[in-house]
Amino acid sequence: MSDDKSMLTFPSPDEDVVLAAQIAAMYAATPTPEAGAAERCARAVIAGSMHASTRSSLGGLRPRWWWGAVAAALLVAVTLRPWRAIGRGGGANASTTTLSDAGGVTQPTGLVTVLANGTAVRFDLRLPATANEVAIVGDFNGWDENATPMLHRNGDDSWSAQVPLTPGRHVYAFVIDGTRWLVDPLAPQVPDSGFGPSNAVVVEGGTQ
Amino acid sequence: MTDAELVTRTRDGDTDAFGTLVSRYYEACRRFAYHMLGDRSDAEDVVQETLMRAYRAIARYDERDQFRGWLFRILTNQCRNALTARGRRTRRFVQDELAIDQAHAPAAGLQLGVEHAALSRALAQLDALQREAILLKYAEGLEYTEMSAITGVGESALKMRVKRGSERLRAILGTRDE
Repeated sequence: MSDDKSMLTFPSPDEDVVLAAQIAAMYAATPTPEAGAAERCARAVIAGSMHASTRSSLGGLRPRWWWGAVAAALLVAVTLRPWRAIGRGGGANASTTTLSDAGGVTQPTGLVTVLANGTAVRFDLRLPATANEVAIVGDFNGWDENATPMLHRNGDDSWSAQVPLTPGRHVYAFVIDGTRWLVDPLAPQVPDSGFGPSNAVVVEGGTQ
Repeated sequence: MTDAELVTRTRDGDTDAFGTLVSRYYEACRRFAYHMLGDRSDAEDVVQETLMRAYRAIARYDERDQFRGWLFRILTNQCRNALTARGRRTRRFVQDELAIDQAHAPAAGLQLGVEHAALSRALAQLDALQREAILLKYAEGLEYTEMSAITGVGESALKMRVKRGSERLRAILGTRDE
């Protein structure tokens, strides 16, 4: 009886085991992505990779040190848009509208961000109007509304897409539910070149 | 279909096969990035960049590796890059989003949600490399050999990060309870 040491041994709680269990439970409780997010991401990745392979086959431009300064200046200019004329838009293509007159949207909040590696651009679009899917089209994906779907953020009205872009000027627009093309009236716009009014962004290859 | 078979099909140009791989691992990657970066948008960007790099590099994938481990190797690097590139940006940690998300959970889960938020907040206060090691060890449940293969860091260094990270977590959580 007294030599049964196991009866006298009380294992103390292993703090690491407890902590591991707590972390695993927290991890498992992470909010799940919305339905279809993985599929949209896969499509964006494949579309982006196809675009990138086309870019590399063209020889591409090597990043220059001064691109970063130019990119920062242009980013500020694009963000602040001091030259913007309110109410622009409409244009020759009747199927294209500006965000301000699209479905009761009161204030468009498109944002273009050159990512830190200087080879990709993130397009963010806040679209209070109800939309099932939003895509970005432009000269970088052949104006194909199926090529670059935007990801819908959970819990808000924001849509986002990350697109690898070659340095230079690019023209783009947004497509809502596959049918309605929109431009951001707060961003620089360019004349209709056959695809309706569009926005323009200038991308540089250096770091911000 | 196994990951290896899907990789082979992807290499042959079958984009649907790659889509299946993405659907298998998207959530796991997003969850890890989410807890590493503390921001949903940043996490989704990093996951997309990770998958983009994986897709481009899939010809170089060695079938002797687990696909998940290979993908996480890219993911951890991208998370580190994102944290470095974040620069002057204000850091927004995960606890706020978690609290918001779980505020609408059923009553039975509400208390757990609060605890998770506290733990998540504590994790966010760790050094990034300690947080990475803690997540790989305790959240992903990996062995140190696997962690070493993913991170490129020696096992002893990883054990030290986990140990110190755990101590720091307990200290933060203990302070909160007092």
